[in-house]
Amino acid sequence: MTARSPLAERSSDLELVDARELAFVAQIDVRVGPATAASLGFPTVPNSATTTGDRDALWLAPDEWLVVGPGAAGAIVDELARSLDGLHHSIVDVSANRVALELGGPSRHDLLASACPIDLHPRSWGGGRCAQSMFGAAQVLLHERDGMTRLFVRPSFADYVVDLLLAAARP
Amino acid sequence: MTGRRTVSGGPAIDRALPISFTFDGEEVAAFVGDTIASAILANGIEAPFRSPVLGRPRGVFSAGVEEPNAFVEISEPWFEPIVAATMVDVVEGMVVGSRPGVGRLRGDAPRGRRVEHRNAHVELLVVGSGHDGFYPARDAAARGERVMLVEQHRTIERGAGGDFRAEGVTYLTRATALGLYDDGYVTVFEHADELDRLWHIRADRVILATGAFERSIAFADNDRPGVMLSYASSRYLEHGVLVGSRTVVFTARGGAYATASNLVANGGEVPAIADVSGTESDLGDAKDAEVLRGWVASGTEGDRWLEAVHLEGPGGARRTIECDSLLVSGGWDPNLALWRAIGGGLRFDDEVHAFVPTDGPPWLSVVGSAAGEVPNDAPYWFVPSEDYSRHFVDFQRDQTIADIADTVDAGLRSVEHVKRATYIGTAIDQGRTSGVITAEVVNALLGESPGWQGPSNARPPAVPVPFATLAGPFRGDLFDPVRTTPMHPWHIERGAAFENVGQWKRPWFFPRDGEPMERAVERECLAVRTAVGSMDASTLGKIEVVGADAPAFLDRMYTNRMSNLAVGSIRYGLMLGLDGMVLDDGVAMRLADDRYLVTTTTGGAATVLDRFEEWLQTEWPDLRVYCTSVTEQWAVVAINGPRAREVVSATGTDVDLSREAFPFMTFHDGNVAGVPARLARVSFSGELAYELHVPAWHGLEIWEAVMAAGTPFGIEPYGTEAMHVLRAEKGYVIVGQDTDGSVTPHDLGMDWIVNLSKGDFVGRRSLRRSDVVRPDRKQLIGLFPEDTHALLPEGAQLVLEDTGRMPMPLAGHVTSSYRSPALGRTFALAMLAGGHELHGRTVYAPLPEGTVTCTVTSPVPYDPDGARRDG
Repeated sequence: MTARSPLAERSSDLELVDARELAFVAQIDVRVGPATAASLGFPTVPNSATTTGDRDALWLAPDEWLVVGPGAAGAIVDELARSLDGLHHSIVDVSANRVALELGGPSRHDLLASACPIDLHPRSWGGGRCAQSMFGAAQVLLHERDGMTRLFVRPSFADYVVDLLLAAARP
Repeated sequence: MTGRRTVSGGPAIDRALPISFTFDGEEVAAFVGDTIASAILANGIEAPFRSPVLGRPRGVFSAGVEEPNAFVEISEPWFEPIVAATMVDVVEGMVVGSRPGVGRLRGDAPRGRRVEHRNAHVELLVVGSGHDGFYPARDAAARGERVMLVEQHRTIERGAGGDFRAEGVTYLTRATALGLYDDGYVTVFEHADELDRLWHIRADRVILATGAFERSIAFADNDRPGVMLSYASSRYLEHGVLVGSRTVVFTARGGAYATASNLVANGGEVPAIADVSGTESDLGDAKDAEVLRGWVASGTEGDRWLEAVHLEGPGGARRTIECDSLLVSGGWDPNLALWRAIGGGLRFDDEVHAFVPTDGPPWLSVVGSAAGEVPNDAPYWFVPSEDYSRHFVDFQRDQTIADIADTVDAGLRSVEHVKRATYIGTAIDQGRTSGVITAEVVNALLGESPGWQGPSNARPPAVPVPFATLAGPFRGDLFDPVRTTPMHPWHIERGAAFENVGQWKRPWFFPRDGEPMERAVERECLAVRTAVGSMDASTLGKIEVVGADAPAFLDRMYTNRMSNLAVGSIRYGLMLGLDGMVLDDGVAMRLADDRYLVTTTTGGAATVLDRFEEWLQTEWPDLRVYCTSVTEQWAVVAINGPRAREVVSATGTDVDLSREAFPFMTFHDGNVAGVPARLARVSFSGELAYELHVPAWHGLEIWEAVMAAGTPFGIEPYGTEAMHVLRAEKGYVIVGQDTDGSVTPHDLGMDWIVNLSKGDFVGRRSLRRSDVVRPDRKQLIGLFPEDTHALLPEGAQLVLEDTGRMPMPLAGHVTSSYRSPALGRTFALAMLAGGHELHGRTVYAPLPEGTVTCTVTSPVPYDPDGARRDG
């Protein structure tokens, strides 16, 4: 049997806006105190992200981070659980709870600015930044990484977000 | 004569590029760079407009956004129902019609302009590109700040004519700030050549360099075509248009002499200047003009265009001068619409005889003429007269000084009241040319001094903006997100009818071969009661509650005890508001000593998580608990019916499904159809039932696997309607349908779930309120209509005695009503006053089509002993 990623049918649409789906990427929600988080290498500056190896840790709240792949979610969960054993914490596999999109192209921030209210100008946005905001009426988590912008969206909103990206690209 | 094209000149137009357009069916010549208004004037079109109420002929009165007369509908090359002709550039082939005051949308969905929305962040936003706006913008950009400059015209003025641009500034031309909001949020409507753009701009600082509007003067027949604000004649010269051959100027300020000079220099004639300013001014090129000091315009003549002006001088002297243009200037009023809409104050300045800004928010400043740097010489707003019935104040509302006097005679003193009585200032132009005059007329009528009260407030949007522009991309399919589950493609393929549940599209029922809803629902219900059915329950809200204090926390959030739930077990729970009323319900699964998965209603997911966080963060920060939403992590298939166990088994699983190993209200983690899954025995139908939870991206395949495995057992997909019937047959309430925020657990007959022997829980204290323990509260009961085919409408009122006479005391209302295939009859759930004590009694539902007689029953009409849940 094969799993089906939420935007499997939309890859050609996504290409029109220089985007692709990062299907099945592992995402782990970690809740823990900030001091402990710092010891794990998680960022403590609000709305920033760190990358260790290929694994990202995105600051979501003073006591909440999203750890993003690669690799199997179960292995990451086990590894984090070992690190946090005996400490008050929560580790939840949320890999299927959000779709990850990656937007490339030099005009991606303009495209997002059509429906995203946060400041995406280089002065306040750039590599290593993340933020929770809205794209139209959909909640999104944005992460700037390697010259691309990642968008994490609830799967039920994924078609809406793609449709809105397409509409913004050709008003 | 009327207006005409000058022989040469006009930097705003390109005479090498002639174009033409249609105005009210006639072809009109123009040049690239003309506005609709300048082209109408250049072609000498008489009486191009009509006033909305009185139908009086009107002409172009201004050259800007304050225009009160010249409104048009554009039908080609795009559609716009109403817009000021002064604000739109002509394009080749444009089709335009005059519109007196009221725009109309068309039913045939005409072509709108392309629209986009943009968000932007800047350190400085400047509104207005004149001298006072241009330089702060340039300087801030030079300091490296992000600067945007909003200009309503096509060119950046800088105060020196021509189009100047400074490096580093982002220019929005043909753009109007629609509204200012808290903390520097500004909406801007940009009418670009290729499309309309709505900007959402967040600025650290905003400078209003919005300039001033020339003040009109009210006198008899001051609305005749050919009467125009003085400054506009100079504006139109920039378009190569002379607004009249023979022009009289009526002014309360010396500056209007320069306007007269400008006209003469461009081939016009100015025979006279009536001047009440009391200052000496240089006539310049208009040296032939006769200056009539202390004279005023007391009336005008003309049919479709101005033919003469009546002047009145000191000592009652009168003269009539033939002319085809009368320029009026009462002075200048700072343009403070945006300033006032955000709460900025006004004060009257006796030096400049105008209202100037005072007391605004710290991020907002006003500069230049908007700040009160206006060259006014005299406080002059209207010409005294015996008869004020044709002294027009608000042209768009056809309101005169006499109309204002009527309202003041009726006892109104505030301009805000006068505005609402006369509608002055409520038209599209928001009274830009009438607001200050109205205030000063009221002040004078009340015997108060000038400035005693100022003009009424303005509100966004500052100019008419099409709904299509406000909507932007958020229209049609993008109006609101349509949320779908991973199984949605299957539902579509199977021809499901959908129901909106919040933003979710859920299958409502699955009709076969065009069968009607009633038939489909009956078939789906019977499948669940006699064989097996499957439902997509993925939309259920899901939250993981983790931490050493998770058991204690859930004990405080739910009415029953969750701390003694065994790992691997499931318990139903009710959640109350602080008022003791039912807020949400769901089940809790204990995954580990310190970990629960709780479910919520589809609509309650966000509310419940917010509520958990609120209590944890504000009241119980000492509790070691973290909550994480996993609603969309899991796709859920509900398999219900006597053959559910066989279907799950046939789907293929390593979980022991035997009754002994897997009792009701427990769950097991394992594999189903090769997919890691959680199997739970919970039932919302009363039948043997399994909920199958899998990571969302396996949702479609597991659904297909269940349907394939279930085919030999007669499996039917069922939708929310059958689910509602099945649960109602068992008396299971739906929070939000059978409850409305005023219902306690006791009202629902659910005392069994309220554990008063455990510690405190949210809502507990309210359950002792005298009103909550009244015996005559509305309580949940079942209803059997006497006629077993009669279907009560949900919401129907119930009475204990059908007296046949209105009014009757109402005793309750129907909350759910269905045809039950299992019962072979219709039935309903209802809230009835004192209903718990009324089982067996007859009640009545008086309806327009006749009274339905019903018997009150227990709210669990089907399988009251729960014998069916284990299959």
